[in-house]
Amino acid sequence: MPTGIDPITLSVVQGALQATQRAMTTTMEKTGRSSVYAIARDYSNALFDWDARMIIQGEDIPTHLGSMVLATKAVARFFAGEINPGDIYLHNDPTYDGSHLPDMCMYKPLFFEDELVFWVVSKGHMVDVGGPVPGSYNPDAKEIFAEGLRVPPIRLVDRGEMRHDVLNMILTNFRSRKFQSGDMNAQLGAITLGEQRLTALLERYGKAVIKDCVEQLLDAAEAHMRARIRTLPDGVYHSSVVAEDTGHGRGHQTLEAEIKVVEDELEIRLSSPPQLDFFTNSYRSNTLSGVYAGLLMWAQVQPPFNEGLYRPVKVDFGPKGTILNAEEPAPHVNCTGGPQETICDLVRTGLNRIDPTHAVAGWNHTWAFNITGKRPDNGEPYLDLLISSLIGGAGAVNNLADGWHAIGAQAGLGGAQIGDTELVELLAPIIVTRLELAMDSAMPGEWRGGCGLVTEIEPIDHEMTVIAWGEGAHHPPPSTGEARNHPQMFDTKVARGWHLRNGEILHEVDHNQVLTIGSGERYRSQTSGGGAAGDPFSRPPEEVQDDVLNRKVSLKGAELEYGVKLHPETLEIDVVGTTALRRAKDR
Amino acid sequence: MNYRIGIDAGGTFTDFVALAEDHSLLVFKTPSDRDNPVSVLLDGLAGLARKAGLEFPDFIRRCTVLVHGSTVALNTLIQRNGARTGLLVTAGHEDSLELRLGHKEDGHRWDFRYPPAEMIVPAHRRLGVRERIIAGGKVHIPLDEAQLDEQLDKLAQAEMEALAISCVWSVANDVHERKILEKARSRLPGCYVTASVDVLPRIGEYTRTSTTAANAYVGPVLDRYLSTIESALAEQGFNGRLYIMQSNGGVATPEVVRQRPVAVLNSGPAAGPVAALWYGRQLGFENVISIDMGGTSFDVSLVRNGLPDVIDQADIARIRVGLPMVNVTSIGAGGGSIARLDELKILQVGPDSAEADPGPACYMRGGTRPTVTDALVTAGYFPDTALLGGRMKIDKNPARQVIQDNIADPAGIDVYRAAHGIIEVTAKNMVDGIRIASIERGYDPRDYLLVAGGGAGPAFAAMLAKELGIQKVLIPSTAGALCAMGEATANLRYDAIRACPVRLGDLSTDVANNLLDQMEEEGRSALGVGAGDHARVERSAEMKYIDQIHYCDVQVPPGTMDTDKLARLRENFHRRHEELYTYSEPDNEPEIVSLRTSTVVDTHAPTDAGSGATIPEISIKPQGIRQVIMPDSQEIRATPVYRNIGRETEDRFKSVPFSIQGPAIIEEETTTIFIPAGDSIRYDPVGFYLLEVRYEG
Repeated sequence: MPTGIDPITLSVVQGALQATQRAMTTTMEKTGRSSVYAIARDYSNALFDWDARMIIQGEDIPTHLGSMVLATKAVARFFAGEINPGDIYLHNDPTYDGSHLPDMCMYKPLFFEDELVFWVVSKGHMVDVGGPVPGSYNPDAKEIFAEGLRVPPIRLVDRGEMRHDVLNMILTNFRSRKFQSGDMNAQLGAITLGEQRLTALLERYGKAVIKDCVEQLLDAAEAHMRARIRTLPDGVYHSSVVAEDTGHGRGHQTLEAEIKVVEDELEIRLSSPPQLDFFTNSYRSNTLSGVYAGLLMWAQVQPPFNEGLYRPVKVDFGPKGTILNAEEPAPHVNCTGGPQETICDLVRTGLNRIDPTHAVAGWNHTWAFNITGKRPDNGEPYLDLLISSLIGGAGAVNNLADGWHAIGAQAGLGGAQIGDTELVELLAPIIVTRLELAMDSAMPGEWRGGCGLVTEIEPIDHEMTVIAWGEGAHHPPPSTGEARNHPQMFDTKVARGWHLRNGEILHEVDHNQVLTIGSGERYRSQTSGGGAAGDPFSRPPEEVQDDVLNRKVSLKGAELEYGVKLHPETLEIDVVGTTALRRAKDR
Repeated sequence: MNYRIGIDAGGTFTDFVALAEDHSLLVFKTPSDRDNPVSVLLDGLAGLARKAGLEFPDFIRRCTVLVHGSTVALNTLIQRNGARTGLLVTAGHEDSLELRLGHKEDGHRWDFRYPPAEMIVPAHRRLGVRERIIAGGKVHIPLDEAQLDEQLDKLAQAEMEALAISCVWSVANDVHERKILEKARSRLPGCYVTASVDVLPRIGEYTRTSTTAANAYVGPVLDRYLSTIESALAEQGFNGRLYIMQSNGGVATPEVVRQRPVAVLNSGPAAGPVAALWYGRQLGFENVISIDMGGTSFDVSLVRNGLPDVIDQADIARIRVGLPMVNVTSIGAGGGSIARLDELKILQVGPDSAEADPGPACYMRGGTRPTVTDALVTAGYFPDTALLGGRMKIDKNPARQVIQDNIADPAGIDVYRAAHGIIEVTAKNMVDGIRIASIERGYDPRDYLLVAGGGAGPAFAAMLAKELGIQKVLIPSTAGALCAMGEATANLRYDAIRACPVRLGDLSTDVANNLLDQMEEEGRSALGVGAGDHARVERSAEMKYIDQIHYCDVQVPPGTMDTDKLARLRENFHRRHEELYTYSEPDNEPEIVSLRTSTVVDTHAPTDAGSGATIPEISIKPQGIRQVIMPDSQEIRATPVYRNIGRETEDRFKSVPFSIQGPAIIEEETTTIFIPAGDSIRYDPVGFYLLEVRYEG
């Protein structure tokens, strides 16, 4: 245990590490080509130490972060003994602890005075990594081999020399290559920036001081988490959630966790059914992202955020070949959305039940669509993931706060970003006909969830392919305490999709399928709202009234779900009617 | 003698500067009063008159130009007490303002208690109009005028004080938006109505809508304030020109500001770099970094080639505003910032502040938590009995005690080391702020002159310069009123923008020249520039590689565009991309998003360069000795203190230069300067100090 560093130097070094990570992220956003990079910000940067321990996890996309903890170690192991200054490695494959194939990750070992001191790591979601379906979300894949290009750890840059043949081989496998090429440049730019800043830091303070600081920052985070766990009574607790049937026809799958609290340590043992021949399996690194996200949503600790947080937490993924510990050849590309979020729910709801005071309810799960087609004017292909289609409601915080509207999904916790309507319409030949908060979508409670979002689009003068994927059609995100929705309002709470013609609904669409939307037709998708906390009949009627006034809750929803009766024209509170509704507990 | 007046209304103090024709400078500070801004204004002017030795009516008659930097619009937005505002948008997009692009601000990813932004226009006042223009400007759904009339009726019934109008793609075809504007103006008399194509004709529906809504929200409030000031000044006999400071670092007439009140939101800190440039130019510098340290924040801005670094959007009070504004990086590192050990015993400074009340412990108003000012007093940088030239009494003992109790004892270190640690961590935060404003924007701070303002900024300036490799630091002798000085020296400025989405290779010189000429004309007209008047026009292009989404600002070569200048524009872009992001893609084609112009008209004659160079220096003696902890060695050293130099040298002060070797401390009325060992400082009769930083080897 190092002791030589004073609180002042530690503060300076911690600030410099944070600033470095932040500058890398800015570079990726500003230079990226694809909308997934430049608008949606679906990427993560992190810094690792000489032992490939994560020392700054940043503010990016939570679903990436747990997997990076394992992946950097896997890559370091793979190249052990032949790691050279100037190298950059590339990798996406989940059997080497990648998250899912679209997440391409670059790793740069940083040497200082002939010693490996840091790993600068940058991961980003490529809009396509090959395979039979544009966008690489292939609901028909029975094996990982049918999902896209698998890249085990490879040497992309060898002692400062880009291996152009290798890069070309990879890009040749991707659709819309010019986007991927630009996005990889952005990633390389971020890595260069990270290297420059860390080198300057090492020059300023010296290797020994920096290494001591790193140890202390890891210890500090560990101390935070231990103190938080110590607030829980010792014992063995159980949690289970349902991973819904998203089109595989095998029914809902039950995922279980046993959480053992021993003083200031946690043991989390997961168990799940055998893996499916459908793309909702989760390899262990993605499972770890879900576990860590659930843990942090519960713990709500202060920075620093680094791997020290996870030292007091042991995770057992269950037997190999199960959904939560998938192995080759399980298909998996959907795992960073619904499955990761369901795992997060599993761990968080388990911990929330032990300690419900400020429990965070569930956020919407990823339910989204990609669009592809040919531009009517010049025949050029386009391909886009409409980020607005996955944005939904945040969960309430028990005894504290309502959930934010339209800020999810849970995989991103507010880190993603919708494309501006005009920018989206520049990138693809479509019209965004509606982009609005979905009334009654928020789960009702004393603290209600946030509203989900309706995205409706129309192709201009051409036929457009929609690849709809995700989950949340069968159950809304979990609420806590006495919160509940009214059975008659269930349809407003879950994620849905519709095919429209002439403004009329043609039919409702199950996700995880590919469909064609003709010229003049529309596709409409709605995400679920966030989970709630506490009894909705305890919500002050004035707040329900305000939600009705501002289109978040309907008059019917106010009556059925909150027991609040309003005058249909003036929206004044009918005190007598409200009292009667709230007294009649047979809702 | 005539005067130019700069008035900077801050949260705690309102600063007044009178700049006379002979460059002599009068400064007056008085406490702000949010409820009676006009009486503060008149008090301040009276204070300046006294300092000038003139009767008030005589003085006000000699004020030819009065520039006001006001926080009225900003406070309205922060406190969410603006006009009752409605919003008319394309049907289906009523929630754009509330969605805020579905993103939670960085810094709060794991903070589940951070509340959503409070709406300036709640959902029930956001109404949709059936119409739709698509990319390229084609009408997809014609404007449904009958439905529009219904919506206007609803707004009329709800008695809107202000209305914002923003249609999707109005930037490509404004026919619907203009029609809605026309109908709204006639249907809602007395309502402040503003349309997005007039406020921000730029692609990006969310930013345009949000900016327009903010414009409507603050419009009526600012209008009332301006009218009050205009009549109060007229009553006092003021017949000079009144200008209002804008966020872009230039001034505008009240008429222009009434059209685009959102353009003054961030005007307060925007004046700092204007003053910094004025001082820098006395030494021939066009590249300066300005720092200003107040009670709660530390503001950094950069001026390059004589132009403040401008950004095209920012969130102000959590509302997206997309007009050009001086890029001010604000860090929670002011004199009142509180130092604490977090539960892991890591020293943190700010962003919490003791503000003016109770203020630092040394103010003896009940402050119990250690602040940066307390550290400066304990470490010997600041005087230990009084500030503001003796007008404000302080006490060193409570300062030392709170650091002992809250930092030194729990961390197990000496109180001087703890005080010094607070200074060191604060300086680190400041250096981070300067890096964000310079290095992260692609500018090397070593190429810049550092201009330090604020009561405590000059105590840190030499340390910051050394950390960043900066050679020279300029400290105005009235550093405490940097922004008011900026207002007194600001020029008229008008920004215009035109969307111009085209690949660079396809841009015809005719199109480029035509757009640039149009914008120049717009600027001249808005500023009332006659044919013979001299206006400077700075031109830039927002550029990116094809398929990139974000763009960067690139300078357009001056003069009529030709193929040679287009080639230079291309080179400028590749270089700028590399400066910002470590790489460029010379084989890939750039494209233009928008063209912009900034038209600037000088409001005063250019000044002479500092004349002190030829005057022989006098030598001056210190008035005292204080024990001060040195920044690098941390040894405590007896350090000479020079105070009230102005009084000491009396009249000679204005005209005679002198030099001092570090370590030394200079106490001026509004600021305190620390000169580390090895460095030297020279007073220039123009009214500033120049500190030279010494580097080993």
